[in-house]
Amino acid sequence: MMVVDVIFYAFAAVTTLAAIGVVSSRNQVHSVLFLILTFFSTAALFVLLEAEFLAALLVMVYMGAVAVLFLFVVMMLDMDVSDLKAQAINHLPLGLAVGAVILLELVVVLSHSHAHVAAASTVPNTLAIGRTLYTQYLYPFELASLILLVALIGAVVLTLRERKKVMRRQVISQQIARTRSEAVELVQRKPGEGA
Amino acid sequence: MAVQLPEMNLVLLSPEILLSLVAMGLLLMSAWSGKESRGLIGTMALSGIVLAAVVLAGLSSATPSATMGGHFIDDRLARAMKWLLLIATALPLLMSREYLNQHGLDSGEYYVLTITSLIGAMAMVSAGSFLLLYLGLELMSLSIYVLAAYQRDQLQSTEAGLKYFILGSLASGILLYGTSLVYGATGTTLFTAVANAIKTAEHVSPVLVLGAVLVIIGISFKVAAAPFHMWAPDVYEGAPTSVTAFIAVMPKVAAFTAFFRVLLEAFSALHVHWAPMLQLLAVLTLAVGSLGAIAQSNIKRLLAYSSIGHVGFLLIGLTTGSQLGHQSVVFYLANYIFMSVGAFCLVLVLNRQGIGDQISDYAGLAKKRPLLAFLMSMFMFSMAGIPPLAGFIAKLYVLMAAVKAGLLTLAVISVIFAAIGAFYYLRIVKIIYFDVAEQPFDMEVSLSHQIVLAISALIVLVVGIFPGKLLDWSLASVQSLL
Amino acid sequence: MSLHHFLILGAILFTTGVFGIFLNRRNVIIILMSIELILLSVNINFVAFSHYNNDVTGQIFTFFVLAVAAAEAAIGLAILVAFFRNRATIDVERIDTLKG
Repeated sequence: MMVVDVIFYAFAAVTTLAAIGVVSSRNQVHSVLFLILTFFSTAALFVLLEAEFLAALLVMVYMGAVAVLFLFVVMMLDMDVSDLKAQAINHLPLGLAVGAVILLELVVVLSHSHAHVAAASTVPNTLAIGRTLYTQYLYPFELASLILLVALIGAVVLTLRERKKVMRRQVISQQIARTRSEAVELVQRKPGEGA
Repeated sequence: MAVQLPEMNLVLLSPEILLSLVAMGLLLMSAWSGKESRGLIGTMALSGIVLAAVVLAGLSSATPSATMGGHFIDDRLARAMKWLLLIATALPLLMSREYLNQHGLDSGEYYVLTITSLIGAMAMVSAGSFLLLYLGLELMSLSIYVLAAYQRDQLQSTEAGLKYFILGSLASGILLYGTSLVYGATGTTLFTAVANAIKTAEHVSPVLVLGAVLVIIGISFKVAAAPFHMWAPDVYEGAPTSVTAFIAVMPKVAAFTAFFRVLLEAFSALHVHWAPMLQLLAVLTLAVGSLGAIAQSNIKRLLAYSSIGHVGFLLIGLTTGSQLGHQSVVFYLANYIFMSVGAFCLVLVLNRQGIGDQISDYAGLAKKRPLLAFLMSMFMFSMAGIPPLAGFIAKLYVLMAAVKAGLLTLAVISVIFAAIGAFYYLRIVKIIYFDVAEQPFDMEVSLSHQIVLAISALIVLVVGIFPGKLLDWSLASVQSLL
Repeated sequence: MSLHHFLILGAILFTTGVFGIFLNRRNVIIILMSIELILLSVNINFVAFSHYNNDVTGQIFTFFVLAVAAAEAAIGLAILVAFFRNRATIDVERIDTLKG
């Protein structure tokens, strides 16, 4: 069994266990942390498959953006701000454990994968993707940009609440500019009808 | 290594490009202008769609060709389906403007999202690869999820959006997993290249078959074929009625074209594998569509089950694998658009003055508003497949195709379920004509409603009596397949 | 380490994701995460096939899946937030009616 095999099995095991952790945790914050671990281990596996660009993308887009978004929503929906601090301490052990595993994986990947990658391809992975993506896949690329635009619109439409504008300042010019017809309304009421 | 650009014929993409520009222009407009220009945005969205139709009509006649690296296919089928998509977007938009206004939904984003979903659907119908199929599907679906949840202060609407989103995303996940297996087995995602790889391979690999099955399941979710239909009644009921009218027709056209592309262009050599599966789906779908509708008291839920029943018929046309069958599918889709739009337009008209979505609310409509009652019964009769209306011819052609392809059992089963289905359409007619009126029904029918109702009723009636032109058009559109 | 190893891993993740959707019927946010797991399994498949077929298409496909998955997560969470806002108001109303 080669070193690469050992690395594969280690990462695959972490990925699997973390994925099971995502769906079986009672606590949603734990689920998000496990999700981050799953993504990170998969990114490491991508490096083994010589897809460094996608590995970097996975780390940046998923751990940097999507997972944080999940974390925000989890915190926003279920908890009071007051006991966020207490909650944070509760999550500390798992957070530390996930962090430790990620660190370990980082060390392993950085120390072992490099020789393997350099041996295989002549064109760097990122260059190969770039050359194809902006030529053969121009049309899908443009379509994907529309999808991201829709995501932007959708998120704003569904969640943005406009605060009603409250006039707090005294605007003297407006007060002076008022005319009698704007300020006073005369109405004829029959007796007994009331307002 | 020099970078080589693929051959790009942007003229063929001009309707899509135009619609994208319209969508972005409207977005900017709605950001900078106040509430008073909302009506203008709706008008501009509609004129944008009409303009796209004009551009589409102005394109030179379609010789089957692929461009943009093979991802964009232009042929008669794509052109025909784009026409249907434009109609299936414009009519629901036209008839729902008052509804949107009354419910405070007529912000510019509603129209922008409608148009982006249309662009996604158009990308789907001219998709030349699994990648484009996926991206088009996602652009369409993501816009529609947001539209379904657009009434964000209503629990029903957001719940509908959430349900639609979860099951829709599961469906895309399944579709993608299948696509990855197909890619693994054939080494490509272009439909034509996949078909070639299948033909040249000495045996069919199980990975490929599994991939094909998962792709079919993924699309079946989108057309709400049983047993993947469970989202449809809830979403139809919960979404704003204007959105329900839209999602009842537009995504179906796009998804059935996707079926055409995937089954007949990529997996045509696997017909023996997918045909029995689709037949099973068709029988289940027919059963759910007609039996599920019986107990419904909400008109939107009822129309959801009714659309499931129609999907069952469309699936039968698809499984035949014959040109007659494909023609019948296009013909059925074209008629389904007008029947469904007409029925939903009446729901919108009658929905306005405190009359809810319950079927019992329509009691005695005939005594107060005989014309509306007549139109409603006409659309119901057409959906039930009663001559001399368009729905009858559509069902007849599907049955003919099934019998010719030797699928006699399937034809008999579909007739039985159509007869059961006719029961609940007739029940509505009975309620409208013979029950005692409880509502005043004093709403007025606006001009846009009159236009939509007139168009739908005219097509349902004229096509029912003179189906020749539309049949020829359907035949011409599927001739490039196979 | 061969193609099959990666495919099996992908299959495990896919199954976990699908099970996650059906097991956590009450917990919507975990359902959304399960969908992310399904998309991740697809990505593993594509990258593995791409590597062993020596063809960049699979990686390009993964690129698009990543982009769409991010958009999907944003929309899903937005719908979820809108949904929970309505749920919350309904719960508050129920509390009020019990008091009165």
